[in-house]
Amino acid sequence: MMLQLLRSKDTKPYSIRATRREFLKQLGGFFALGILPFRTERRVILRPPGATRDFLQRCIRCGKCIEACPYDSIRALDITAGASIYTPYIDPLETPCYLCLQRGPDGIDRPISKYLRCGDACPTGALKRIRNTRKVLEHLPDELKIGVSKIDRRLCLSWQYDSCGECYYNCPLKDKALRDRPPNEIIKVGTGVRPYVDPDYCTGCGMCNYVCPVKERIARSYMDRSIKLTYFEERYAAMVRNVIGSAGGRVRLPAIKVERIV
Amino acid sequence: MGRKKLKALYIRRLVQLIVLAGIILIPFYSQNPYQWSPSRIVLGHLPPPRVLPVSGDTWAISFGNFTLIHPLAFVDYIVSTKSIYLPLIGAVVIPLVLTLLLGRIFCSWLCPMGFIFELNQKINNLMGRIGLRWSFRIRDYRFVFFTILLIAAFFFAIPALSVFDPPHILAREFMFIFTHHQVSLTGTLFILIFLLIEAFSVKRLWCNRLCPSGGGLSLLGAKRVLNIRMDKELCIKCGKCDDACPYDLKPMMLSEDREIDWLKCDNCGLCRDVCPVSAISYHLGMRKRIEK
Repeated sequence: MMLQLLRSKDTKPYSIRATRREFLKQLGGFFALGILPFRTERRVILRPPGATRDFLQRCIRCGKCIEACPYDSIRALDITAGASIYTPYIDPLETPCYLCLQRGPDGIDRPISKYLRCGDACPTGALKRIRNTRKVLEHLPDELKIGVSKIDRRLCLSWQYDSCGECYYNCPLKDKALRDRPPNEIIKVGTGVRPYVDPDYCTGCGMCNYVCPVKERIARSYMDRSIKLTYFEERYAAMVRNVIGSAGGRVRLPAIKVERIV
Repeated sequence: MGRKKLKALYIRRLVQLIVLAGIILIPFYSQNPYQWSPSRIVLGHLPPPRVLPVSGDTWAISFGNFTLIHPLAFVDYIVSTKSIYLPLIGAVVIPLVLTLLLGRIFCSWLCPMGFIFELNQKINNLMGRIGLRWSFRIRDYRFVFFTILLIAAFFFAIPALSVFDPPHILAREFMFIFTHHQVSLTGTLFILIFLLIEAFSVKRLWCNRLCPSGGGLSLLGAKRVLNIRMDKELCIKCGKCDDACPYDLKPMMLSEDREIDWLKCDNCGLCRDVCPVSAISYHLGMRKRIEK
């Protein structure tokens, strides 16, 4: 009820009452969220899958992995990166790594190429060539592991409200890396889909990071009315604000984050 | 005089245009068209993957499974990793042998930045005629720059040569535009600054004085087989070849039994094209030492 009132759009710009109400609303929001209560994680830079430990030595910056990537997930660093200028990276908040998979209408992910295409294109072996089959991906060779996801349960909508599950449904290794139950337990906890990350199987592709609705944009839309939310974002907007408000402190968005390994 | 010779310039321009077109078109066709749409892509609704058999730029290029690598990329890799990756040897054989035999023909026949700088040189000539050119003298720093980058590559374990290779920078610019829809300030500024300097000041400053890749290729092609040769009987000492040479090498000195700076010559063939009596020609075989 309260939230609906807050989001009502029947304010009249020429009425003093309405503008004051608008002002109070913004003020209330300001205090509820605190001054800059949320921070986006310092830009996480993942290397493409198959990156070796001596990646920076071996990469001759030819850019072929960037051209080979079917989803343009891989980008090149610029001069701000210093000596690693022109090396490829993946920013999961922009575009995650899709592991060269394509989800069919039946919900099953199928590989679109024989090998992961960045590793196949690399001429110097900086990215290892990895066969792109479900079996190999689930076995998780060490070269494939580029990061590991971590869930912040204070911010996760599923942990707070039993309602989201976006990361679980979009995970390329669903039921393996991201689970709806603890990795070592058989009994489900709770009623909704509460995500658990199994660090033994998580490749760090960043898909969960990408689809997580607890985003800075949505949180800011509370104070900044110029931000237009999509239908998908609107669905979670009220919950996201509440979750950030109740988590307090200086939390980092989104709720599920990838930590870089290589 | 003989029959009318085929100008090397025409073939060279054709090859250069093909390389430039490839550098623009390869990233254009390898981009993901769905990235232009503002909606988000999740694993459920995915764009059709584009498969292009050709990928890469002048630094490393692949036709299907067949890869070619710039000889300096190979040197760079060995120096920075202190090891040899065996598939690289197969990729580098053809370019390396061509460079050892024919000299730095990469600079004159393939390099797209060299092509742009050559066109820019015409603006420089125009500015010289108008009187808008402020030239200054500068020494040849190509080998110094090349050595510094190799030392950096060895001690900091980063392939430093690749960062200062202009055709690679140009190709990276087009890749930035077509795959990320942005322009990187690094490469654009680099290219614009040198275009401006070369238009209003020193002629061919980068290729002639600073380019570390050009220096490296010069050293690789020091003992080359393909050279220009001057026929002393035919030469009428008109001086046209001296004007035509983009590196101010003064090929007319050859008719007076004096050496030119062979390390700098990149076999572009401009002096051969411009000679009215066909005294200058390409010659396959070792250079004869001229006795003083």
